[in-house]
Amino acid sequence: MTKILLVEDNEMNRDMLSRRLIRKGYEVVLGLDGQQGIDLAEREDPDLILMDMDLPVLDGWEASRRLKAADATRAIPVIALTAHAMAEHRDRALAAGCDDYDTKPVDFARLLGKIESLLARAVGE
Amino acid sequence: MQWFLQSRLCQQIAVTLLVILLIIEAVVLLPFAFIHGRLDEHLLLPALLIAVLVSAIATLIAARTIVKPLRTIRGQAARADCGVSILGDRHDEIGDLARAVSEGRAQCEREYTGRIAELSRSEAQLRVTFENMRQGVAMYDADYKLVTWNQRFREYLDMPDEFFSREQSFVDYLRYNAERGDFGDQDVETLIDERLEKLKRVHSFERTRPNGTVLEISRAPTLDGGFIAIYTDITERKKAEIELTNAKQAAEAASRAKSDFLANMSHELRTPLNAIIGYSEMLHEEAADEGHDTYLPDLKKIENAGKHLLALINDILDLSKIEAGRMTVFIEPVSVGTVVAEVSSIIEPLATVNGNTFIVDCPADIGVIDSDITKLKQSLLNLLSNASKFTKNGTVTLSVAHIVEGAHDVLTFRVTDTGIGMSSEQMSKLFQAFVQADSSTTRQFGGTGLGLAITRHFARMLGGDVTVASEPGKGSTFTLTLPAHRAKQAAVPVQEPSAPKRMVSGDVEAKLTVLVVDDDEAVHETVGTMLGREGYRVLHARSGPEAIATAREMHPDAITLDVMMPQMDGWAVLAALKADPKLCEIPVVIVTILNDRAIAFSLGASGFLTKPIDWGRLNVTLRQHIGGTVSGPILVIDDDPEMRRMTRQALARMGLQTEEAENGAAGLDWLASNAPPAVILLDLMMPVMDGFEFLDRVRTHADWSKIPVVVVTAMDLSDTELDQLQGLTRRVITKGTATGVDLRAAIRDVFRSDARRGEAVLR
Repeated sequence: MTKILLVEDNEMNRDMLSRRLIRKGYEVVLGLDGQQGIDLAEREDPDLILMDMDLPVLDGWEASRRLKAADATRAIPVIALTAHAMAEHRDRALAAGCDDYDTKPVDFARLLGKIESLLARAVGE
Repeated sequence: MQWFLQSRLCQQIAVTLLVILLIIEAVVLLPFAFIHGRLDEHLLLPALLIAVLVSAIATLIAARTIVKPLRTIRGQAARADCGVSILGDRHDEIGDLARAVSEGRAQCEREYTGRIAELSRSEAQLRVTFENMRQGVAMYDADYKLVTWNQRFREYLDMPDEFFSREQSFVDYLRYNAERGDFGDQDVETLIDERLEKLKRVHSFERTRPNGTVLEISRAPTLDGGFIAIYTDITERKKAEIELTNAKQAAEAASRAKSDFLANMSHELRTPLNAIIGYSEMLHEEAADEGHDTYLPDLKKIENAGKHLLALINDILDLSKIEAGRMTVFIEPVSVGTVVAEVSSIIEPLATVNGNTFIVDCPADIGVIDSDITKLKQSLLNLLSNASKFTKNGTVTLSVAHIVEGAHDVLTFRVTDTGIGMSSEQMSKLFQAFVQADSSTTRQFGGTGLGLAITRHFARMLGGDVTVASEPGKGSTFTLTLPAHRAKQAAVPVQEPSAPKRMVSGDVEAKLTVLVVDDDEAVHETVGTMLGREGYRVLHARSGPEAIATAREMHPDAITLDVMMPQMDGWAVLAALKADPKLCEIPVVIVTILNDRAIAFSLGASGFLTKPIDWGRLNVTLRQHIGGTVSGPILVIDDDPEMRRMTRQALARMGLQTEEAENGAAGLDWLASNAPPAVILLDLMMPVMDGFEFLDRVRTHADWSKIPVVVVTAMDLSDTELDQLQGLTRRVITKGTATGVDLRAAIRDVFRSDARRGEAVLR
């Protein structure tokens, strides 16, 4: 089963997104902050990571950078989720090494499309 | 007649006449007789002698009888006791004269006494007024000695009694005040010279006494060469003024706090709404999956209401962000075709709800513009959703065109509908925030009425505008015009884009001010925007006289001056500026379509540029004349390569060279092996060695302690941390809200303050 790591500090967002992903047939692992995200990425070896950017302890930008800097986790696709629909944030997310970017509130259909295309690419490589 | 014959005067006159007759006989008849031979020649001399003798006796008698009483009268008239006359009992003319004089004298005396009494009364009244005045008054004579003063003056001056005497001079008073410390550290002799110089004309000033009393002191020269000084206690007035200023500042702060709060609330407001929308969406999906079809319409209603509320909140937050000056634009290449396609796909279903036909007319080769994609999309969505909302069974058209006319290179997005249209009165209110054309519109059509206000703000932030043409019942056309190309920019905060004639624009907080003088409004728009982006505060003047007045009042750091202006041309303005000793130091850059470089420099211009304006050159020219020159690099210490890249670009635009280090330790290494940089830009949160530790090391190092450090951080600093940084750094900028503008302004401030102090940090 495809495993997705969702790193999100907001409980309701975490609950909604995880339930919808589970319903779509994904296995979901949950992290509450950037540091947990890194730890879980190393331990659980997910197929894809959904990373909120405004996270406590270690923010999403920094967590993504570290994931992309480590050999063990570099290959895992990361989709950045931010609350701001600003080009600046998209650029920052991409600069931090994220593979794609989406804004909250999540348009679930669109997010699914991004997840599927990244997974397909990962399989193809 | 009898009294006349009896009077002694009569007898005296008779004697005198007799004598005069004898003299006449002696003097006139004797020579006559001699000529006719009736008198012997030897008798001539005795006869003459007799005549002279008789005359002398007669004169003596006359003197005794006439001159002496007159003297007596004169003597008595001059004396105060003229009422009593020793001649008063004489019954001749002399007696009469004496009585008449005595009478007149008495009359005068009575009137004099009356007048004196009146004067004393009037003086007493004046004195009472003088003493009871709320002002302290003192008069000094030509030697600046104190002549008169009132009690209030004594109170206000609060000086020992011996100072209030006619022996005291103004200089003594100044010296005493200076000695007891009223004038601070000012040199006494200089102060006295200054004050004496001022006394030659009317002047007034304010002074705070050591006891806290604020006095307004007015001095004016008097006709006799002295002066009058008037002291008014304005403590209460000052207090009221300060209270008023404080109240105004408090009100402004409250308004700012409200805007800030709203802008900050965005996250707090959106989070619960996201949950509402998300869960209703989810329930809708689950209900559909599990076959609970009866719930579906209600769940959809919750979802739609949530989305509507979110849209409203987003509008309000956008507007408050604009008003708080926190809305930024992010200019990048934008594919117009892609934006139009995306917007159309969203609008299509909305338009068809009301039975409208949606037509898009956009050339396939419309190309790429430099703009802010989010704001462009939002503006188009606002215009198109309005058109769809207010049109039923009609047509909504979006036509896009690229128009190039000379230097004018713009894109127009025209949204035309065949809907209800508007009257001119409705149109006039259209772009105002919180005002819908008709409050009933809100009930009928929904919406916040903020969409158009936001769209106009956005359009202006992007260097363009929105206009409207409409006719009731026939429909409306909204035209969004945007410049096709703009210099690629990080972000531009816009303070008040809707004011039609701006007096101040750009970065209003910036320390460096440029006065733009041009009669062409378009130049104010473009130059204002450009200079604002470069981190200047921009003042605007639209005529020569206005330019000179503004320069006098605001004393800008530089002036850009157009030449061809009505009434007073640029040359006249330049000459006037250079002739004013207070303004002649301000560098003036002539910006004109004429090519009269020689005239410009001969009149004292610092720079000369021809229109159309080359921004780069204008920027470089201004920088040459203000803001100091730098040849050292700027050391950027940040662990985020993206931040370093953005900073490098922003500084390169100022013509500054950067060196980079990825943490505090690397920064120290760099410092150890290079000459000190002009400025250090320092991030705080970094691995290996953070900014705080780096600062500690740098500040305790002999060679590096003077290097100006500007902290650029994403941290929310606590008060303690801020205090800690305060003494060690020049300025703290917050990342995220920090824009290229903030950064450039901070750097410029550092250079400028160093140039003023003459510190040797710039090398």
